Amino acid sequence: MKKVNKDVLKEAANKLMFDMSDEQYDTLLEEFDIITKQMVLISEIPGVDDAEPMTFPFDVSTTFLREDVPVEPLPREEALKNAKDVVDGQVRLPKVVG
Amino acid sequence: MPFEAVIGLEIHVEMKTKSKMFSSGPVSFGDLPNTKINPVDMAFPGTMPVVNKQAVINAIRVSHALNMTIDHELWFDRKNYFYSDLPKGYQITQQFRPIGSLGYLDIKTAEGLKRIRVERLHMEEDTCKQLHSWDCSLLDYNRAGIPLIEIVSMPDMRNGEEAMKYVEKIRSIVTFLDVSDGKMEEGSLRCDVNISIREAGSDKFGTKVEIKNLNSIANIQKAIDFEMKRQEQVILSGGVVTQETRRFDEASKETVLMRVKTDSVDYKYFTDPNLPPIRLSDEFVDEAIRTSPELADSKYKRYESLGLSEYDINQLLQDCGISSYFDEALKSGASPKLLANWVIVDVQAILNKEDISIKEFKISPLHLGELVKIIEEGKVSNKQAREIFTEMLKIDESPNELMKKMGTSMISDEEAIKAMVNEVIDANPQSVIDYKNGKDRAVGFLVGQIMKKSQGKVNPALTNKLVVEELKRR
Amino acid sequence: MGYLHLSITELHELLKKGEVTPLDLVKEAIDKMKADNNNAFEYIMEKEALEQASLLTKCEEDNPLWGIPFGIKDNYSTKDVPTCGSSDILKGYVPIFSSEVYQRLINKHAIPVAKTTLDELAMGGSGTTGHLGKTYNPWDKSHKHQVGGSSCGSAAMVSAGIVPFSIGSDTGDSVRKPASYNALVGFKPSWGRISRFGLFPFATSLDHVAYFTRNVEDSAILLNVLAGRDDKDSSSSFKEVEDYTLNLNKDVKGKKLAVIKEIVDSIDNKDIINAFNSSVEKLRASGVIIDYVHMDLSLLKAIYPAYIVISCAEATSNNANLDGIKFGQREDGDTYQEVIMKTRTNGFSELIRRRFIIGSYSLLKENQNELFLRAQKARRLIVNATNDILKEYDGIYCPASPSVAPLFVGSSDKLSNEYLIADNYLAIGNFAGLPSITIPLGFSEKLPFGVNLTCKAFEESNTFNLASKIEEVIGIKNIIAKEGE
Repeated sequence: MKKVNKDVLKEAANKLMFDMSDEQYDTLLEEFDIITKQMVLISEIPGVDDAEPMTFPFDVSTTFLREDVPVEPLPREEALKNAKDVVDGQVRLPKVVG
Repeated sequence: MPFEAVIGLEIHVEMKTKSKMFSSGPVSFGDLPNTKINPVDMAFPGTMPVVNKQAVINAIRVSHALNMTIDHELWFDRKNYFYSDLPKGYQITQQFRPIGSLGYLDIKTAEGLKRIRVERLHMEEDTCKQLHSWDCSLLDYNRAGIPLIEIVSMPDMRNGEEAMKYVEKIRSIVTFLDVSDGKMEEGSLRCDVNISIREAGSDKFGTKVEIKNLNSIANIQKAIDFEMKRQEQVILSGGVVTQETRRFDEASKETVLMRVKTDSVDYKYFTDPNLPPIRLSDEFVDEAIRTSPELADSKYKRYESLGLSEYDINQLLQDCGISSYFDEALKSGASPKLLANWVIVDVQAILNKEDISIKEFKISPLHLGELVKIIEEGKVSNKQAREIFTEMLKIDESPNELMKKMGTSMISDEEAIKAMVNEVIDANPQSVIDYKNGKDRAVGFLVGQIMKKSQGKVNPALTNKLVVEELKRR
Repeated sequence: MGYLHLSITELHELLKKGEVTPLDLVKEAIDKMKADNNNAFEYIMEKEALEQASLLTKCEEDNPLWGIPFGIKDNYSTKDVPTCGSSDILKGYVPIFSSEVYQRLINKHAIPVAKTTLDELAMGGSGTTGHLGKTYNPWDKSHKHQVGGSSCGSAAMVSAGIVPFSIGSDTGDSVRKPASYNALVGFKPSWGRISRFGLFPFATSLDHVAYFTRNVEDSAILLNVLAGRDDKDSSSSFKEVEDYTLNLNKDVKGKKLAVIKEIVDSIDNKDIINAFNSSVEKLRASGVIIDYVHMDLSLLKAIYPAYIVISCAEATSNNANLDGIKFGQREDGDTYQEVIMKTRTNGFSELIRRRFIIGSYSLLKENQNELFLRAQKARRLIVNATNDILKEYDGIYCPASPSVAPLFVGSSDKLSNEYLIADNYLAIGNFAGLPSITIPLGFSEKLPFGVNLTCKAFEESNTFNLASKIEEVIGIKNIIAKEGE
């Protein structure tokens, strides 16, 4: 497992497109210490690593597929009314490069 | 030392379903920006994905065409990353359990058939479209959520030609299956190339270079040929190929560096908890395959059995629309050979001249078939047939009707022809003498006269026969 | 004192008789909300509610929700009504579509009167982390005690007697825990029983629509309206919907309940233990078989870390759509990265950002096995152990919380190192997607605490049957905060 330190956490934060103050990273380091310790305890539970990872609470498999029938699209103004910067019917951003 | 290239392709195919992969938003191309959106497509909080049945059917059909194993349980995963064109901040894809796995495709190369293994086929969703102007980028969400199929080949190709053939084959499959219009120029079929070179015969792999934005099948070959040479030179001049992403530059016909790849991005894949596994019954999968449109390969065999030449067949199969048009016209009962000829020559000529697709072509397949039939039945001469054809381009009417209207039917009535024969022979006594003296061309001369007299409306074969009879009698 | 301290069924009788009109009720609710000082509202739907109420003239006798005012947590999408999940990043966002739950209630002519506060984006349990600050517990006029979360505003609103029911959401215990701190009935059904379309996702595999009422019958009445398949939510169940009121107050003789000893033993509040024990005796007296069973301590201790890892991992992905580009707040920047970066840095509180990093870190390729996947494996073991108990028993019966509402002072939203089993075990119901209900159990220093019943998946009918008996033997129902003073 990746060793946790401020730089690693800062990188993780920036990959998530936000930043934090140094104190906040310190708090986070404490939390990581706690969570990783507790996860180690979990690793000691007999048979844990032989168990199937569980995503859904129970067998929820279905056979349902949506029929390929389009519905009325949103009126353009409706779709864009929550966007902060709209120019001729499109959402504007600073020029995206790369 | 001779080098060989090791080439693998990742192909994205944009499906032409009616609605999007995970939403009921309409799929359509070339509309006003942001007019084909469902809340799901813009990732408004609380929206949830629901899988499109037709997209699954399409994926099954393509997987089958690629001889792949089809997973009867659908699982979807999230590919997490931030980018301006990615509304949810993740893309729903099938990382851990692709619907199709381990298949192959046989391509025709100079050295004969070559088998290219296909590693995986999975469904995913398209991102929104970005329009870059000099100072900003504009986002259009019409494209966001359009169903995609990604087809990943094994690194089995060794040169640009093989890669091109492979892509052509994939393109033919997705268009004949009516899954996509497969237009590289318009981005409905996108191809990324992974290429490295090594000493011929070696089993080691060189450093992989990725080539992006190839917007035509021809460019794939060009880009690969260039890139092979480039990497060779790097190595021969004692350098090392670096792992990087390059793009093909239309103008210079060269690949140019986009970015050097640092350690690969971690997409933090995990099963999408929004999409419980979907079980596909054997019946469902079999039905999808059974009802799937006919592929080019099988049409090829069918056309062969109709006695068409390889050239004609290839012409017909170049465009899925053309071959469907031909198949429709066949139902008229016209002879395949002659019909194929009309489609390939006359119809194609119009399409080129007016620069339209077969879908926009005025004459319905059945009417074209009818036209070919009356030619075979000798009701009209080729010359007349062309006149009728030109008329049909204006109004798509039954050629039989038009023939009557235009009065352009051939005279096959013996009495009428005999009358003309006598007139002409009487008018040319010399030709009788010539014939008696064994000069057969007198016959041709007389038939020609009759043709002129009737403005080409008499049945040539019959006229010829009657002239000879009359000459003998005199 | 008005009418809104009454239950849904009581109000329905009055509406039928015409003794009160929907407009009267809405006006009363609005007055009470304006006078309320518990900071429970993101948005008071005054105009909308009055308008809707004035349209309701002819009472639908067979529709118990007709004209009944209610509150809904601000993480439910409500068309044309501002919805921000108590987060700055969504300040000013006005949804263009409605959540299925909200729509169903409106179709029944129930009247939404407020969007209620929550811990930011529902990621918390204290009712203190929303962007409007603390929400207070109506039972504690001194405002020293928490109301509980994350559905803090919805809980406060019902216990303050402003509406007879309110909608919350429950990912770990976000309805069932505050219910315990507010003498309310808090219920979440099986995963998939109620559509989540339009609910802002926190941790999709654990999220449930859940709600507060002041008695068990009202809870069953609501499920009749909210349960059922919705094609817009792929996880929505096809299982047939029943009339969940049918088995209320039916005989429970021979029903079997399991008390998990390790959980009860971890509680040191005597009032809670005594009240719990006496409820056990009364239930036995009415024919319920109750056994004390064991659950592996290491599994019980695994609940909290597994919950943190799984929920944070899903949350970081679920909230990646909040980038300021399409909706919500947007900060300026020279590049799009800068725009997103600033927007998310300023839009999310520190707590949220810390949680996201924990989640994202658990998903990294090189960490998944030790963190995310291991947590998912632990989840499976916990679920298996729970279902093993439920093979033998109709339900699991334990105190809903180890204490009354905690004090603000000294409580922190940092991950804690102590294993408060009884404080975290309710997440079992989310891990396994089981129907789970909290019912008022008693008081300790004038503050309420509750008991919880968790049953087999899709046995909501049986759950309400037992719950109504538990409610009866305990004898606390239909009370609101001011009476607790």
